[in-house]
Amino acid sequence: MKTETDNLRAGERFAGERYLLDAAAAEAYGKSIHEPTRRRRKNIHTDAEAASRAGFAAPIAAGEQTIAVMAQLLVDRFGMRFLRGGRIEVALVKPVLYGDSLIANAQVERAGAEQIELRLWVEDQRGEQVLTGTAQARAR
Amino acid sequence: MSPEEAGRSNDDDRVVMCAENLREGMRLGPVHYVVSAAQISSFAAAICARNPLYAGGGAVAPPTMRLNDYALLIANHFRGGKGGVHAKHWCEFHEPMRAGQAVRAEGVVTSTARKRGKFYFTLEYETRDASSGQLLVRQAITSVLLNPKGEMA
Repeated sequence: MKTETDNLRAGERFAGERYLLDAAAAEAYGKSIHEPTRRRRKNIHTDAEAASRAGFAAPIAAGEQTIAVMAQLLVDRFGMRFLRGGRIEVALVKPVLYGDSLIANAQVERAGAEQIELRLWVEDQRGEQVLTGTAQARAR
Repeated sequence: MSPEEAGRSNDDDRVVMCAENLREGMRLGPVHYVVSAAQISSFAAAICARNPLYAGGGAVAPPTMRLNDYALLIANHFRGGKGGVHAKHWCEFHEPMRAGQAVRAEGVVTSTARKRGKFYFTLEYETRDASSGQLLVRQAITSVLLNPKGEMA
């Protein structure tokens, strides 16, 4: 697991492993977080009718799970330099449907002496972006 | 699970979750909990994270493991509603949460706005060590609130 940042250059890209966000992955994620009871009722994540009313073709995965996949790439690359002093800002630009597979990506925008600035995106199996954003990690 | 973890107060005096009841400056929480080693393991497994930082006696929590504390804060103050659609999020990670650590989370509604027929709100919230008050994470969610029919518009 690489955590060195000394050789990072502006323009360098890195990516995570493909993550299949299917029903099993969503269930595992749902069981691993602490949710209020009311959220377990029928909603856009669990019910086709609720999803349709909200304008989606099918139930959608929780955006939090996509953010978690994105953040994990940064932990794997920067370790404590992200966990202590890092920042992430993202927009969920396209819904993720169960069965989509995701790859988290980052590109170095600026590699300063104190801070690494990154552009982020997560793309699905069609190559379409579902999350875009920026992040910072400490350079040392 | 405590009433706070379940998102409920002992007397259900919560207000209905709707655009009319969401106001800028509204404070939510606090909620208290102890960071669980079991949750660190299950969350890491759920996102296929194999980072050694999440294992062993000094395990730290994955940075977004408690991102959905916003839902506990909302459920502690509001009832009902059709939920929302997560649109944007930012997080500042000051210090990782650790297994066994008692923490306190609280938040404030920082903006509400109707744009192109959709009602957006932003809840900024932070988590601190319950004993020392040390800031651990500060973050904000921007969500599109579904109307009583479950629609975005």
